[in-house]
Amino acid sequence: MAKILVVDDEEHIRLLYSEELSEAGYEVITAADGHKLIERIETEKPDLVVLDIKMVDYNGLDLLQEIRNKFYNMPVILCTAYDTFKEDIKSIAADFYVIKSFDLTELKKKIATALETHIPSS
Amino acid sequence: MFEAEVNPEDITSAEFVVAIPSYNEADSIAFPVQQADRGIESFFGNRKSVIINCDNNSDDGTKEIFLGIKTKTPKIYISTEPGVKGKGRNFRNLFQKIVNLEAKAVVVVDADLKSITPKWIKHLGEPLFQDFGYVAPLYVRHKYDGTITNSIAYPLTRSLYGRRVRQPIGGDFGFHGQLAQVYLKSDTWSEAVANFGIDIWMTTLAMNENVPICQAFMGRPKIHRAKDPGSDLGPMFRQVVGTIFEMMIKFCPFWSQVRWSKPTSIFGFGLGETEMPPPVKVNKETLFQKFQQGFKTCGHVWENVLQKETLNKLREVKKMNTDRFDFPTNLWINVLIDFAIGYRDKVWKEDELLDSLIPIYLGKTLSYVKKTERMSIRESEEFIEEECVQFEASKSLLVQVWNKGA
Repeated sequence: MAKILVVDDEEHIRLLYSEELSEAGYEVITAADGHKLIERIETEKPDLVVLDIKMVDYNGLDLLQEIRNKFYNMPVILCTAYDTFKEDIKSIAADFYVIKSFDLTELKKKIATALETHIPSS
Repeated sequence: MFEAEVNPEDITSAEFVVAIPSYNEADSIAFPVQQADRGIESFFGNRKSVIINCDNNSDDGTKEIFLGIKTKTPKIYISTEPGVKGKGRNFRNLFQKIVNLEAKAVVVVDADLKSITPKWIKHLGEPLFQDFGYVAPLYVRHKYDGTITNSIAYPLTRSLYGRRVRQPIGGDFGFHGQLAQVYLKSDTWSEAVANFGIDIWMTTLAMNENVPICQAFMGRPKIHRAKDPGSDLGPMFRQVVGTIFEMMIKFCPFWSQVRWSKPTSIFGFGLGETEMPPPVKVNKETLFQKFQQGFKTCGHVWENVLQKETLNKLREVKKMNTDRFDFPTNLWINVLIDFAIGYRDKVWKEDELLDSLIPIYLGKTLSYVKKTERMSIRESEEFIEEECVQFEASKSLLVQVWNKGA
């Protein structure tokens, strides 16, 4: 069972994602902010991170960069309410992005594709 | 008098190298050398560094200009033998020099760059002293600059090898010194690689070696001698595309296992809002005419290379006038798959086969130009991203067709 870490400062979003993604067969763990996120990833070893871009005390794009530099191949999906984040070049370090919605169909599709991605070792 | 190497300060070792390949760049080489020198001084002042000009024995005074520029960093000039040309051959000399100098990190920049700043050296070089082995540039280019990259090199390398490197033939990049040995020992060297195939060859080898790759955000657009995509293609197109196809044959066991793609790390934020690149003029009528002429001049080759359905679709596109001209992405993907397989199976003389792809590519370029005409650079980037997703979605078809004929 793939383990997904959801990072979002809105409690109802964490609850929604936990419930829906668990039902879809994933093990879900959550974080309310970016505090000690790298340590958390190191200890809990998720297979994928779903990351909110705009959190009260943290910028998801900065966290994305930290994750990418430390965990080169970790799939990261950005979640946002608006697509203006694309103006920030940092966003291209994400595997995918989704616009936040209560319908998680798109997110689930992207999660499946990101987990399916495979690059063999040479 | 010919000199293969001029090393005025007798440099025998260096930790950091900035290299500038050239052929007849007397008019332009001074600027990138000066910027490289400033970049080294500002950001790598504590490392033993050298600037190397690897040249094709230019007869326009490139060597004299290069050696005459006052720099704080020592300089070395190396050259191929008289009459021996090719960007790749310059690199081969460079690889050997890097090994001899035991350099840890190498940054390469084009000799015709007009927009390079000292920070380019920092951003291409610094990741090499961290965990990265290959640094590709990330700069804003005009939507019509680098159409071979946009239509072929980027989507193909991304879908084949699973790494999203936006400028795989950018011309400005960094690599770890150890990669020089890998490049020297590789058995994939060819005449095309010895020329303009060198950039895509280096990037592809780095991907296949699973070297950690990052993209460095340069903060300024690439301003150089940009060309109308409808002109001056010939040898460069043949060498780049031929190298891509050649590497597909060599690295099939690797790429056939790759599914979808991964982004790469980005290095070099906080440079402020990006400056817009100068416009690149495109003559749509020329693109249209050259595409149409292709049916007369290359039709006999296409009949041997393309699947019947692909050729029929191509004929449908031919019937469209310039106003409603549209070259579907799926058709383009099928054309590239057929050509890659035709190249592998040697169904036609190599050079003629590659040349015959040019009119089709120009048709695809015309379609891209029309579709992105009213788009901003960012919107056209999103358009290219969507095309890349279609390339990735067609990967299983490629693997299936490739294995069937193998």
